[in-house]
Amino acid sequence: MSDRILFNAIQFLTVLVFAPLASGVLSRLKEIVQSKRGPSIWQPYRDLWKLFHKDEVVSDHASWIFRFTPYLVFVTPLFVALLIPVLTDYPLFFAFMGDMLGGGFVLALGGFFATLAAVDTANPYGPVGASRTRMVGFLAEPVFMIVFFTVSFVAGSTIPYIVQQRWGTPRANFVAPSHVLLMLAFLMLVLAEGGRIPVDNPTGHFELAMIDESKSLEYSGPGMALVKWGGHMKLFVLLCIFLNVLVTPWGLAHEQTLQAVLLAIPLVLLKIFGLLLVLVGIESSLSKLRLFRIAEFLGAAFVTSVAAMISRLFSF
Amino acid sequence: MTTAWLQDLNALAGGLFLLALFGLVATRQVQGCLRFFVALSALLAASAFLLSAIYGEWDLAVVGVVDIVTKVLLIPRLQRRVLHDEVFARREVTQVLNVPTALLGALGLAVAAYLLSQPLLRFIGGGTVASNLPVGIAGLLIGGLTAAVRREAVPLFLGLLAMENAAFFAGIGIAPRMPLLADVAIAFDVLILVFVVGVLTRAVQERTGTTEVGELTLLREEGAR
Amino acid sequence: MSTLVLVPAIPLATVLLSRLPLGRRFPSAVTLVAAGTDLALAVRLALRVVAAHEVVAIRDWVALDGFGATLLLLITFVATMAALFSGGYVATHEREPRRVRSYFMQFNLFIFALVLVPVLAEPALVWIAVEFTAVFSVLLVGFDRSQAALEAAWKYIALMFMGAAIALLGFFLLFWAQDLVGSGAPYSWSGLRAAAPAMPPTLTTAAFLLVLVGFGVKVGLVPMHTWLPDAHSQAPSPVCALLSGVKTTTALYVILRLGSLLPLAAMRAWMPAVGLLSVGVAAFLLLQVRDYKRLFAYSTVEHMGIMVTATGLGVTAGAHGAMLQMITHSLTKSFCFFAAGAALLAAGTREIAAVQGLIRTSPAAGAALLLGALAIGGAPPFAVFLSEFSIFRAGLVERQYVVTGLLVTFVTVAFFGILMHVNRMVFGRPVTPVGHVERRLPVTCLVTLVLAAIPVVALGVYEPSWVDALVRLAAADLLPGASP
Repeated sequence: MSDRILFNAIQFLTVLVFAPLASGVLSRLKEIVQSKRGPSIWQPYRDLWKLFHKDEVVSDHASWIFRFTPYLVFVTPLFVALLIPVLTDYPLFFAFMGDMLGGGFVLALGGFFATLAAVDTANPYGPVGASRTRMVGFLAEPVFMIVFFTVSFVAGSTIPYIVQQRWGTPRANFVAPSHVLLMLAFLMLVLAEGGRIPVDNPTGHFELAMIDESKSLEYSGPGMALVKWGGHMKLFVLLCIFLNVLVTPWGLAHEQTLQAVLLAIPLVLLKIFGLLLVLVGIESSLSKLRLFRIAEFLGAAFVTSVAAMISRLFSF
Repeated sequence: MTTAWLQDLNALAGGLFLLALFGLVATRQVQGCLRFFVALSALLAASAFLLSAIYGEWDLAVVGVVDIVTKVLLIPRLQRRVLHDEVFARREVTQVLNVPTALLGALGLAVAAYLLSQPLLRFIGGGTVASNLPVGIAGLLIGGLTAAVRREAVPLFLGLLAMENAAFFAGIGIAPRMPLLADVAIAFDVLILVFVVGVLTRAVQERTGTTEVGELTLLREEGAR
Repeated sequence: MSTLVLVPAIPLATVLLSRLPLGRRFPSAVTLVAAGTDLALAVRLALRVVAAHEVVAIRDWVALDGFGATLLLLITFVATMAALFSGGYVATHEREPRRVRSYFMQFNLFIFALVLVPVLAEPALVWIAVEFTAVFSVLLVGFDRSQAALEAAWKYIALMFMGAAIALLGFFLLFWAQDLVGSGAPYSWSGLRAAAPAMPPTLTTAAFLLVLVGFGVKVGLVPMHTWLPDAHSQAPSPVCALLSGVKTTTALYVILRLGSLLPLAAMRAWMPAVGLLSVGVAAFLLLQVRDYKRLFAYSTVEHMGIMVTATGLGVTAGAHGAMLQMITHSLTKSFCFFAAGAALLAAGTREIAAVQGLIRTSPAAGAALLLGALAIGGAPPFAVFLSEFSIFRAGLVERQYVVTGLLVTFVTVAFFGILMHVNRMVFGRPVTPVGHVERRLPVTCLVTLVLAAIPVVALGVYEPSWVDALVRLAAADLLPGASP
């Protein structure tokens, strides 16, 4: 049992430590694709270090929500990291604390407070971005629900670890229509929730066009560092859910020994790197959608997920 | 490759066929519609090849080849030659149903198709492939929806061709021993149809300056005479 | 044996022949000769069928039985009349020789497709032939190149193809049903009839419903009839005669063939309801038309409904009546459209309100129109009266009082509607539309009107014995049971 607590701690630390690396690699790859050199992959760590050593400036009009939110945004992805299979394919100590729906609510909690904090200051761009984030959020809800229902219908459980064990028989993963369509729908969901192209431009500086980035406009110093780190971790956690639960359990530790778990770290990072290549491909070949077209994008994701559900429900 | 693998791949082709149908209803651009139609035809051919391996009927492989030649290669070229180039640069600015509503409608029809096919699926014996029939019926309904909500000539017609593709998709699953001559002749009939409709669309465009055939409403009883 | 193969081959060859630039009259002349030859061959084949019950060229692929022979006879007769009418009609309307040649090429292609339908015995090939009849007539419907004509042509082909795709699934289901029976019977009309009792009723009913909806679009059954008034009024009149007279009948032919595979109870349940809906809606829609070609088009919808209802009675007398109605309708409706074409040439407009006193301005056109209206409405002593009467009688004998009562009511409403509109046009003080040049009717048109009127009147009083035998043979094909 102490093993399990230890593995849980290692899992927690992996997400904490390696999330900025994933973001760094992603930005570097994007720049390389555009024939530029790009920043170093360790740049996000340097940014975080720099921000932690700066002073914080908080607006007079801001309430306790504004000061409280960075901590919440930092902590919620870590909570979710406890619930999902990051390194192991057997349930760990905190695995039964919450299921997929619980994980979704926890992430949504962070997003909710971030939205409130964006409205909290008197900055006009905050509410603009906040309302857009809410729109993307509520359009993405049905997709998430259908994915959740289909996956738990197939696996007979809603705990991510159990789902991962029953979902991934190798042949069905790559070929059954319900699996392929669900993966496609969830990928579109990851793009929407993670604020990537085609939903939002993460490197944009134009405030009127920002969706996700505008929530962190007002923060500075350690608050900004926590919000940024929380953002990196949220993306990392979404990628982990996608890869480890839906795609394949390759790389996850099967035996319950420390070596296996430590070996799983580079393997899982390698898997994430593969997915980052796919993401870079998507981001470099599509352009950002006009705001109201996002409804169509998420509508397409919804329809894909329902098609997956139909082909599973009526499967032969 | 075992039969189970092949059946799974065929089911995947069916799922992607359904997805391409959704794309056909939702795309605004004429070029996009054409690409989704080519995808539909390619998936039909893929299913034909897989089914020929599953059933052991080599006629179906010939059907797949004919399908690729006519629908994937010839039809887009034929359309480009007969119609003015600017028809293909068009997109629908205003629509009868906006995209999310059209997608939801298509989804409803897909569910209806699966429900409608349940009484027929009772007759599926051990060796018959069951995944093609519901997808085919869904395609008929969704193609009909496309033809009903589209105003531009080319997407409307592609919706109709998608209906025929879908009927064929269902057919190769349930009636693999259909005489080859019939299947080949059906493919060539579609080719002639595309040519004739191309000439007609060209005439409409030359007469009225637009290919928004949904806007043509002269013939009514209340009489715009 | 090879006569059967020759029948579609002749129009196909004529397509190429009419392309030849050998003078203004050449295309129409060669078309007329070809159509006449086909008519002669069809009569010969019909007589052979009466004697031997079927004519086979390629077993299970190209064969003719009673029903097919009747249809073939109707198609070739109307085609010959239309070819004769076209000669004068096209010459008056079109100046460019290229357009004239194009018209006759398309005309011959259309005839080829029409003739293919009864000659083929493999259902999937028959589907293709019916598709061909639609595809090859689209450009004829839009031949005028006016905006209204192009719109009618577009609606026509869109709905036709939609119906065809739906029916295709029905044919696949039928093949599957026969496969399940596993009796080794070939996939042909006779093979299907042999295997029908053993096929699962769910599958046959599903296939029939799909073909009913799909080909119902082509027949013009309500509520899929919306293209019919447009297409059948915008096309040139000889083409309208072919469209209304035989093309809708060929689609109905396929539906009735499939109806004969159903269990009798299902047939009695579905067909009268569908038929009565068409008759009723068409009869009432007929009352408010403004265009006399649309008037005749709605009348076609009504008659198609009558035929479906008659077959749906499920008895030999009903099927006999339906068959007779098919023959009389084709002959009479094509005559009506020839009359409408003559009226159009005389008056220059399709609007009912704009035409008056036609009997004085153009006696031939006026008389023909009046004759046509009386005939198609079902007045004695014309042919349609006899067929409708036999249907009513069959209904009463079967005690289907509701069905027969409704049928009589609707037919009366339609009769009233048609006569009301035509009376307004034919009698009264002559009115010359502004800008219209008085023209004499071309000779070919006059000759066609006379020739086409003969069977309309004659069949009302006398039925030759071979015709009677053919009709009995054909009617047996309409009902479930073993082939005669």
